[in-house]
Amino acid sequence: MVILLTKVIVIRPSRCIGCSTCALTCSLVHHGEFNPQRANIRIVRDDFAGRFELRFSSSCNECKQCARVCPSGALQLVELSGESGVNDR
Amino acid sequence: MTETYGYAGKILDVDLTTGTIKAAVPDEQLKREYLSGVGFNAVTLYKEVPANADPLGPENILVFNTGVLVGTSVPTASRSEVSAKSPATGLFGTANSGGFWGSELKLAGCDGIIIRGQAPQPVVIFIHNGTARIIPATHLWGKDAWETIAAIRSELGDKNIEVAAIGPAGENLVKFASIENGPYDAWARTGLGAVMGSKNLKAVAVRGNGSVKVAHKKKFMEIVAATRQAIYGSPFYGPFERFGTMLATLPYQEFGILPGRNFQSGTVDGWVETRSRKLVPRYSSRGIACVACPIACAHWMEVKEGPYSGLKIKDLEVTPVIGFGAGCDINNLPAIARVTEICQRLGLDMVSAASAVALAMELFEKGKIRESDLGYPLPWGSEEGTFQLLHDIAHRRGVGDVLAEGVRRSAPRLAGSERQAIHVKGLEPFLIDPRGRWSTWTLGYITNVRGGDHLRTRNPVENLRHNENPVPYRTEKFAFPDEMYENLDMPEDMKWRIFHPHTKDVDIPLMSKWAEDLISLYNATGMCIRPPVLHTVGPTLIADLYSSLTGINLAPDEAIRAGERIWNLQKLFNIKHGEKPEDSDYPARFYEEPVGAGPAAGRKLDRGKVKQTLAEYYRARGWDPQTGHPTPEKLAQLGIKA
Repeated sequence: MVILLTKVIVIRPSRCIGCSTCALTCSLVHHGEFNPQRANIRIVRDDFAGRFELRFSSSCNECKQCARVCPSGALQLVELSGESGVNDR
Repeated sequence: MTETYGYAGKILDVDLTTGTIKAAVPDEQLKREYLSGVGFNAVTLYKEVPANADPLGPENILVFNTGVLVGTSVPTASRSEVSAKSPATGLFGTANSGGFWGSELKLAGCDGIIIRGQAPQPVVIFIHNGTARIIPATHLWGKDAWETIAAIRSELGDKNIEVAAIGPAGENLVKFASIENGPYDAWARTGLGAVMGSKNLKAVAVRGNGSVKVAHKKKFMEIVAATRQAIYGSPFYGPFERFGTMLATLPYQEFGILPGRNFQSGTVDGWVETRSRKLVPRYSSRGIACVACPIACAHWMEVKEGPYSGLKIKDLEVTPVIGFGAGCDINNLPAIARVTEICQRLGLDMVSAASAVALAMELFEKGKIRESDLGYPLPWGSEEGTFQLLHDIAHRRGVGDVLAEGVRRSAPRLAGSERQAIHVKGLEPFLIDPRGRWSTWTLGYITNVRGGDHLRTRNPVENLRHNENPVPYRTEKFAFPDEMYENLDMPEDMKWRIFHPHTKDVDIPLMSKWAEDLISLYNATGMCIRPPVLHTVGPTLIADLYSSLTGINLAPDEAIRAGERIWNLQKLFNIKHGEKPEDSDYPARFYEEPVGAGPAAGRKLDRGKVKQTLAEYYRARGWDPQTGHPTPEKLAQLGIKA
């Protein structure tokens, strides 16, 4: 038996404070420059209404850097543990 | 063109009289010595605004510059600075704001924009991916700031456009008109909205799809992570994330240092239950951040009952609560939030506006202004009266037209009310009462280059646990755990000079110099002065961030020296434009009338001791202790050619 530890991103949009640190970090990590347009995550802000929407692009490779820097808990890394079957995969 | 790192490498130069638009590249020496932000602004204004320039004339220059760290993920690096000769003070006018405008400007390929002249008709400047257009905007003149922002986004077909706009107050040249930064932030102080209005400039809109490039990515990411950890490690981080600036509302009442009823009372009846941080959870469950900020000190507020039911706004901020809640005694947060909305729409600096309304309320109480003068009653705490008077100020109607000049100029025209007009150099300080709490912070009211204000100095380890009586003037208490002292990003020899070796008591004149230089460094790089940052991020981290971002090696002592250079240049601007040594003084009320009620009741300032402390501050700065002018030796040391 093998214990699998997997980190997943739990997304809680209601906790987003709109800082866009996730998108800034993503663009730097993957493109070597700060460019929110090229990031795999985007925070769509409605500033008048104080609302934020999180969107991931299909090019996201789930490197999870965004969640590592999120200060608000909107993106949170959580460790899931589970027992696998006989075959290790 | 060679690659530029950190900086966008372009400052636009727009002449509204002729409609010409040029661009300049900031050179290496300028970057190293003045960094960006307020530093670049000070250089341009000192060199180019003539001494006799009318602040509201075409020869005044309005400059926007972002901090060099803005547009990156450096925590709290969101801020940009706007400066011009101030119509309120006639001196160096300058204001700082976060939000998203600055980062958008960087993504649009610009570090800043210099605006000269006067457009023949109302216009908007639209900066899009490195180029600027001047767009006719007669149809926007008269609209409030919120309407203007929405209209520009709609007309240009892009809801992501960031807008710096004036409201009716700026159009009508109110001396404390703000430039609104999006709906809920502002470059508020020193009347820069009126400068924009005088240029017939309704808004500066920006949109960019570009990038900010990083010289040394790996190193930069490490230092960004270290900066984030430093901020998270601050004992103020948790409370600030929870309560934002409202955190301070309890100690201010406890110490009796509120400016109650225009600085007549240090405490306010019912304060804790009606206007303090205890109310934050009732109205808000979440914070709203500026770009790249992990603190999110502002809160999204929703009022669900009572006369302001349905009001939704980014607020719960200490400035309007102190100004209108204590200064004007408006006794509930929903009404204060409505005041915030009104000021944001009209484009008014909430600090000076509160001071003007408080002055009018005091004069109303004393019978010097009557209901027949105003058209409505204006007793302390009047919500409707406040709303009405703010509109009258912005539209320059009746008594509002007089108050629109700021309290210094309006006092002689309001039954000789100079005694009630609280200002330094024409700018209204409206936070804590220096009589009730003497500190680095309140010495700053008179040393501040932009006039009476609390935002350009602050002891990074300011202690709101202690209040001393009698006031020692020269020192203030530290009394935090030693760890905080040890972690402070300050050279060891400086710590030894500023802090008493055993008690850690703070030398106020020395700390004032340090704090002003540090905050200049923040305002030149785009960092925010919220306490979790202020006491953890100093010249070492900023120099490392700067060097790894830009590829220009800057040592920590060069970084703090840049802050000092910028402060000195602003002072030189003031001297060139007529500041006198006697202008650096508190209003008479603080010397002659004791605090009226509360724990600080009976206290007033001692002129001799203030003068002595100020002279010590000048010495700490290397300035002439009598005149407060930078000495030739100091200027030579800083490499400033006066």
